[in-house]
Order: sequence, then C-alpha cells, then structure tokens
Amino acid sequence: MASLTLKAITKRFGKVMALSRVDIEVKDGEFCVLLGPSGCGKSTLLNIIAGLIPQDQGTVLLDGQSVDSLAPRDRDIAMVFQSYALYPHMSVSQNLSFGLRMRGTPKPTIRESVQWVARLLGIEDLLDRKPRELSGGQRQRVAMGRALVRRPKLFLLDEPLSNLDARLRANVRLELKQMHHQIQGTMIYVTHDQVEAMTLGDKVVVMRDGKVHQIGPPEAIYSYPSNTFVATFIGSPEINLYRGMLVRKDGLPHFQGAGFSLNLGRLQIDLKEGEVEVGIRPEDIGTGQAESMDLRAKVEMISYVGSEKYIHARLGDEALTFCAPKDTALQPGNVVHVAVDPGRVHIFHKGRRI
Amino acid sequence: MSREHLETNIIRILRILGIIFFIIIVAFPFYWMIVSSFKSLEELLMRPANLWLDIRKINFNAYYEVLFEHGFSRYIANSTYVSIITVALSVTLATVGGYAVTRLRFRGQAFMSYSILIIYMFPAIVLVIPLYVVFSHMALRDSIHVLILVYLAQTLPVALYMLRSYFQTLPVEIEYAGLIDGCSRMGVIWRIIIPLSAPALASVALYTFMIAWNEFLFAFMFLDTPEKFTLSRGVVQLAGSVHLSKQLVMAASVMVTVPILVLFLFFERYLVRGLTSGAMKG
Repeated sequence: MASLTLKAITKRFGKVMALSRVDIEVKDGEFCVLLGPSGCGKSTLLNIIAGLIPQDQGTVLLDGQSVDSLAPRDRDIAMVFQSYALYPHMSVSQNLSFGLRMRGTPKPTIRESVQWVARLLGIEDLLDRKPRELSGGQRQRVAMGRALVRRPKLFLLDEPLSNLDARLRANVRLELKQMHHQIQGTMIYVTHDQVEAMTLGDKVVVMRDGKVHQIGPPEAIYSYPSNTFVATFIGSPEINLYRGMLVRKDGLPHFQGAGFSLNLGRLQIDLKEGEVEVGIRPEDIGTGQAESMDLRAKVEMISYVGSEKYIHARLGDEALTFCAPKDTALQPGNVVHVAVDPGRVHIFHKGRRI
Repeated sequence: MSREHLETNIIRILRILGIIFFIIIVAFPFYWMIVSSFKSLEELLMRPANLWLDIRKINFNAYYEVLFEHGFSRYIANSTYVSIITVALSVTLATVGGYAVTRLRFRGQAFMSYSILIIYMFPAIVLVIPLYVVFSHMALRDSIHVLILVYLAQTLPVALYMLRSYFQTLPVEIEYAGLIDGCSRMGVIWRIIIPLSAPALASVALYTFMIAWNEFLFAFMFLDTPEKFTLSRGVVQLAGSVHLSKQLVMAASVMVTVPILVLFLFFERYLVRGLTSGAMKG
C-alpha cells in the first residue's frame, strides 16, 4: 500500500483544458473519491495516475517517488474499468491470474492468490467460465478480483458500479466498503454519483471543468461547501440557492431575496452589505404555525419518497424545497410558516463561501 | 386470397426465381468445368453437347497428365509458396501497421491512416509496364520473389484497411487493462489484440491468399521460365499450347479453383464469429 501525491497536474486535449493544476494528496490506506459531472476530467486524471496517458505538466508521486517515467506495468497499480474490460478470450481464472503470470509469479503462488480472491468475492464457482457467460454483477466481481489479486500499491476504480442496476449497486457499495476495511488498500474511486461518494469516501475531491473545487471528508463537503457549485452538486434534493442583497436592519444582517427577507442573526454579524447568494439545505428548514416564524411559503407540489416527503413550495418569487415527515398533513395550496436556523445558512459571495 | 397474402406469395416466388437464376449463372460454368475434366478426349470430341457425366466412365487421366506431364505439380508448389509467403507477410505487416494507425499517436498518423487506400487509385494495368521495365533493368524480373513483392504491395492496403477498421471496434480499455496488468505494447498486441482479432485476421488471410493465388497479369508479364510459373500462368500456357485437349485445361482450372473454395468453406466459420462479446458491460 502506498500514499499518492498529485502535484499541479495539467492536461490539454487540443484547445480543451482537461485538467488544470490539480493537487491532491491521498494518504496510505485512504479511500479517496473523485466526484464530478461527466467531462470534469476525473477519468482523465485516473488515466494519468495509471500512466495510460501522459500529463502535460505536473508530477505523480507514489510513496513520495515520482512515477512519471514509469510505464503502467511498472507502477504497481491496478485498475477497475467502468466497462470491466475483461479479456473475452480467457476464462475467469485466466483473467484473474493474467497480471500475476505477466509478472512471472510462481505457479503455486498464483493458484493460492486466485483461490483467495475468488473466495473473497464469492466467485469460486465461476472460475472456468468465459466473461460472456457471466451476468453484469458477476463480471463486475471478476473485474474487482483482477485488481485485488495482485495486491498492488494503489487501486484505481473508474465508475465500477455504474453499469449495475440500482439494488445491486447498493449491495456492492457496502461490500466494497467492507472490503476496503479488510484489505486496507489505498483506493482512488471515480464517480459522478454523490451518494457513492458520500458513503464510500474517507475523502472526497469535487471536480468540475478540470479544476478541483473542494477536498475534504464527506461531512465537511456537505456541511461547508466551499462554493455554489459544490453546494448544488452535493445533496439531494438540491440545496435552495437564492441570489439577492445583504442589508442591515436594526444592526442585524438580513438577506433580501426576490419577494422575501431572511434574518441571518447574530452569527453572521460581520458580513458586509452587498450582493450575495444564500444556500439552504431542504432538511434545515423547519415548519410550524408560530408567529415568530417570519417566512411564509405556499405549497405547490409534494413528492413522496418513502421515508419522508419533499415539499415544493413558493417563497416570495422563488422556489423552495424542504423536507417534511412522511405523515405531514400539508396539502398543495396550504400556506406554511417556515424558519431557518441562521447558523445553517450558507452564504456565498461571487460563488465563493464567506 | 387476401391481397397481402397474394403479395407475400408473389415476392416469395420472385425470390426463388432470382436465386435459381443466379445459381445457374454461377454454378453452371463450374459444373461444366468439373464434368469436362473427368471426361476422356474422345468423349468430349464425340458428344460435345452432352451435359451429363457417366459415373462409370469417370476418367482421372486428365489430372494425371496435367500434374506430371505438363508440370502442374511444380506450378502448384510455386503458387502455394507465393500465396503462403504473401499471406504471412501481409497479415504480419497489416497487424502491426493497422494497430499503429489505430492506437498510437505519432506525427502524420491521420494522414497515414487515410492515405492507405491511395495506392488503389492506380490500376494494375498502369503499373505493370513501368514495373516490367524497372525489374528488367534490375535483372529481378523473372523471379517469384518479385511476384511476392508485387502481391504484397497490392494486398497490403486493403489488409491494413480491414484490420484498422476492426481494431477500431475493439474497446481500448481491454488494452489499458493489459498494459496495467504487465504487458508491453507488443505484449498487448500478441496476447490480447491478435486472439480477439481472429475473425478479422482470417478474412485478411483469405483475401490475400485469393489475390495471390488467382493473380494472372503480373505473373504473365514477369515470369518467363516455366519452372517458375504459378498456377494461373500455367493454365494459360496450357490453353495456348494444347489445342484439342479441353479436358486438360479443365482439370488445371479445377486445381486453381478448388483450393480457394475449400479454404473459404473452412474459414467461413471464423469470419462470422465475433469474439469480443462478453468483454464489456452486458
């Protein structure tokens, strides 16, 4: 196992800036998730770490040693591809042992390793089959096995679950997390699925347009998004984000939005007046009938998601989404008083958190 | 009978008639060739319009004569040699070349990739005279190795083009997996690309073999010494020299045609089978 350091990685494809000065530090044994919308450069970054495509500038360090001049086979890494990329002309056991055979591992060791990984993944019965005789979930396991069997310094996983159906994906996600605990490997995991990122990652790197927007543990990314992109990209239902003016009333800062005003309280007392954006997570909004609640919203639509209900309402001229218990009596057309804990309001200036 | 029913029936009948028509056009000359090759000379002279072959009178003399008295055993060996060497070279070069223009990034890659077929803008008949002159001056003309060179030049563009198109359909992730698992580029080609490309390689080999085996124009122009003749050249020699013995020419023609036919039937299985299924998500 090893630590990974990326220093100022830059990559251009023609005129397109695929990656611009990406710095990431991954500790030994850490599960690091690269999260971003498609086209943000996360897969390119993974290919650069693997040595499959060269970066234009910057350095990749494994355990503090630069691997820039090493071919992919000499970097001691393993990769799981979104498409699995199993060798179609080889049986499962040949697929698993291919990397070891290429490295001249003695045959008894190869046999042991294949047995070990097949047991770990529960694919002992499939060893003699060809990839085309496997289901999607089984192929995914074989692809994982092919990476695990070599016990490399670093695992790279490129959206390994995106071709599985939703239920299977949730199961495999859990297994993956357990497996990470078990083998303590350093893993770089690329996904565009925020749920995967939040549940799996020790550390999440949010990327867009070839730039790193925020790095941190999932809780920090969720609770303290460093800009409006991260705030909107993470969280479901999406954060309520409003553009407006910060003004002072009676010495206290207020947010003046389109058709409503929000008291930001004493915690935000230092804020300067001017243009800002505020973000409020749907679950940070409380409802009630009390007079002290100064915001009134009109319910327009309700979506039921099982564990709770999402209320889509109108606040002034803006849309507002908030969560309500599943047994709520709210109906479309109702007017509710809503309140927000000022401490939970995210305030951004020109897109950046303040 | 409903109108739709009528239409389907008419279409069905037309289709059958069409198939019969083409079978007659294609198969009849072939049938005539085989039947004639088994007849004796008298039989052919006495009843030239007889379409049928009397099983009891099947006569292998024509084959014997052609093979051992008219030098065709030698021509078969020559043609086999030329064809096999051409196939081996063409498939090898097309594999590495096709891979290079598909996957590797180098200066002029796009140009290389698209200019492969330019050579096909020159018909053979335009090239044969200059090549005749050049090879004559170099004293290389009367040689089957020069023939191999020419056939290679003739088949390589299409071979490259076919393999390039096939390689482009192979998912690059499989190669990435191979590179990470410990292969060099050549290792990837040898252990992953070639096994997966078996159907394409079979088609290329078959195509090249057919060209080299059947080619006549260059063989006719370049070869003077009978010991160096290829089959097609030998057939023409025979047809030109033995005026009456039609059964000999037919027997020689059978020897030219049948190997290709057998090869095609044998390889046909490989041509259709796609090997990549199962590599990617299903």
